[in-house]
Amino acid sequence: MIKQNKQQKNASLRIPLSMPFLPLAVDFAGKGARGFAYTDKESHSLELAVEELFSFYVQKVAADSAVELEVEDQGYRLALSISFQMANPDMRAFNLVWQVNPDSEESLELLGPMIAARSVSSLRLDFGNDDRITLRMTRNRDYPTTQVAALPPPNTQGPVRLVEPSSSDLRHFSAMVSASGAPFIPGFLASPGMAADMLAAGHLNAILALRGDWIIGGVLWRPLTDSCLELYGPYLFNDDPDDVVLTLLLDEAVGRISRSRFRGLVRRQGQLQGYERFFDLLGELDLTGISGAATRSTYYYRQLREEGGGVVYCSGALATFLADQYNRLCLPRQLRENGGEQLRLRDASVLAVELEYPRSLAIIRPLCAGKDMAANLAAHLDLLQNDGINNFMVEINTGRSEDIAFTDALEATGFVPRLLIPDAGLGDLVIYEHRVRKQQS
Amino acid sequence: MNLDLLIPEYVRNFEAYTPSRPDHLLQEEYGVSHLHRLNNNENTLGPPAAAVRVIADFSPDLAVVYPSGDSYDLREALSRRFDICRDRFLVTNGSCEAITSIIKAFCQQGDNIITADKTFAVYEWVAEFSGVEARLVPLRDYAYDPQGLLDRIDARTKIIFICNPNNPTGSYWTKQVLIDFLEKVGENRLVVVDEAYCEYVEDPEFPDAMELMERFPNVVSFRTFSKMYALAGLRAGYLTGTRDVVDVVRRTSVTYSVNVQAQMAAKAALSDDREHIAATRTMVKQARLFLCKVCTDLGLETVGGEGNYLMIKVPINDLLMYRRLMKRGMMVRSMTGFRFPGWIRVTLREMAVMESFAEALTEEIREIRNVRV
Ligand SMILES: Cc1ncc(COP(=O)(O)O)c(C=O)c1O
Repeated sequence: MIKQNKQQKNASLRIPLSMPFLPLAVDFAGKGARGFAYTDKESHSLELAVEELFSFYVQKVAADSAVELEVEDQGYRLALSISFQMANPDMRAFNLVWQVNPDSEESLELLGPMIAARSVSSLRLDFGNDDRITLRMTRNRDYPTTQVAALPPPNTQGPVRLVEPSSSDLRHFSAMVSASGAPFIPGFLASPGMAADMLAAGHLNAILALRGDWIIGGVLWRPLTDSCLELYGPYLFNDDPDDVVLTLLLDEAVGRISRSRFRGLVRRQGQLQGYERFFDLLGELDLTGISGAATRSTYYYRQLREEGGGVVYCSGALATFLADQYNRLCLPRQLRENGGEQLRLRDASVLAVELEYPRSLAIIRPLCAGKDMAANLAAHLDLLQNDGINNFMVEINTGRSEDIAFTDALEATGFVPRLLIPDAGLGDLVIYEHRVRKQQS
Repeated sequence: MNLDLLIPEYVRNFEAYTPSRPDHLLQEEYGVSHLHRLNNNENTLGPPAAAVRVIADFSPDLAVVYPSGDSYDLREALSRRFDICRDRFLVTNGSCEAITSIIKAFCQQGDNIITADKTFAVYEWVAEFSGVEARLVPLRDYAYDPQGLLDRIDARTKIIFICNPNNPTGSYWTKQVLIDFLEKVGENRLVVVDEAYCEYVEDPEFPDAMELMERFPNVVSFRTFSKMYALAGLRAGYLTGTRDVVDVVRRTSVTYSVNVQAQMAAKAALSDDREHIAATRTMVKQARLFLCKVCTDLGLETVGGEGNYLMIKVPINDLLMYRRLMKRGMMVRSMTGFRFPGWIRVTLREMAVMESFAEALTEEIREIRNVRV
């Protein structure tokens, strides 16, 4: 069901991108957030981010540029975008760690974007058409994490019903998941109010299993990329002989999303016994948390529709890795050797970084290839590691030649391909992990 | 150019169907030298002999001029065959065009259609991309649930689509079930009975929607030359209803959508189908018996009834099974898109191919089980 909210949920502002307008931009973010009933603390972190980003990019644009700011209340979070045009941009300016020289103290002053990234829940940079650059950030509401909920008695009896939960049902279910001590509870479930608000905003879907009046389990999903969904669970609160409830939940979830625009479904939590009835196994990744404790995520995947296959150009270790994976997963791909494209590279490469401080994780995605790719990657590693990040992943899209151009630089800086997330040969993702750093930490 | 400003919301959110690629590309990608299609429920015996001759003798001169815009001769043949006035037939570019035309003719935004959740997807798709709500009623024991459908009817319900027999489960309503249903539905909305696979059914209790139109003028029947008549590549289907209903649907159908060769071949096929239907039924029966036994021996659950297809529950996800079978040159239909995750649907064909398929399936199942142990 699609919930429509007719209320005005956004506000926008168009002003010159120049220093005298900085206070207006900052005020817009802060007052906009407060206008949508965000707390002072939540609003302040957006002010801080806008201040850092605005003053950083002001220096890089032509004198008469304009900037558009937009805030949108999504219920559980505020989304803010800053968008401006920039002809012939100095690409280096879009790296998170622009011009960082680890030996020089003063270069750290140029870390505006990183400070901004740290104060919000997510920050992303997009290059659009017409040299348009958009910085997108979100700030989640602060939710209390605990809420007590009773779990069903061990052996509830009777037939199982599947229901689409209301927000209140989901709030209760989230609290039950926490009470059950399940491993791998995503952040939005650990804060019951957040899951409920995400459901209301249409950013999360769920099905719960009920026996009598008791919720005995549930499964959730939400978009991971434009073409792929991520599944969470199933979380089960009773014994489930022969996986009856698990199967009901998974079949219903897959049935519901099978005619959507999504092509794939990923699950990356712990192991799932009997997974092969539902998923293909992609592989495993280990993450070292802030405390140093390691968690292992097992990546499962299933296609939601038959795909047409495709041609993938690559070489070296990536080609070997892909040949292996495509063969193992019976995916129809023709691998073709690419070579010698390095000649046409720009000087400066650009990387986008998504930072998740709570998981001590940096996900790096190439935006533009350039001659300095290896140095740029190394600079990111140094800086982020000094900032307390333990885990580095680089995600490359095999459908983009800019991404493929990074493969040598990745190998040179100690990254190894670990996982393939297929996407119809249109843009299969390869996740590289940084081995050397992991061993050091 | 911002296309988003031009596209209606219900089209923006709709994902186009991706048809499978041509065999030669699939063969290259999956590394196989042959490919048996068991995915689209085609009749591999080929068209009836008279239709084969018409196709073989087709003169290029005929390609120069437009075909009959209302398939006049073919309707005449249908009229003689079913003893129904020619104006009560509308010939379409496959029955998919009939689905589109009837929804366009009767539904506007705010209206709804009702059908099952696990059935041929095109009713739901056309409704969605036309801004019409598709209400989906869960199957009960793999069959259309009459009460479930009735419960969803409201003042804005325009059409109820019944796939009889149902693709993919093969279940069907008997004449009595259909009559009871029509009585309860009343006359204020249309009931389309999609009889794409009716020629496969031998049960005397199986209803003929055309016969019911006298008593229930809101009944519309869809049939096709794609299935039993093996003319899927030429695209011809037809809709039968009261004259009033057909007149309305004709308004939203494009003239000349049915090509001349399709009209000629379909007409010939109708004139020479007795032995063809008998031979096809024999082939399907034999294939079904054989494949059911293979599945029982392998401990695989099956669901089937009428129609030239059988659903098989597989021990791994169906999309992976599809790809594994592709690597053995066997193209089946994965059933996730039909909301049956974990199932595949297999077209019942001539024994030689069924035997090769059984071999491939058996090897796959053994391999899968061995890895797991
Ligand atoms: C139930 C059903 N109706 C209609 C069709 C459409 O057939 P065509 O457009 O080829 O006539 C099919 C084809 O698969 C079908 O299975």
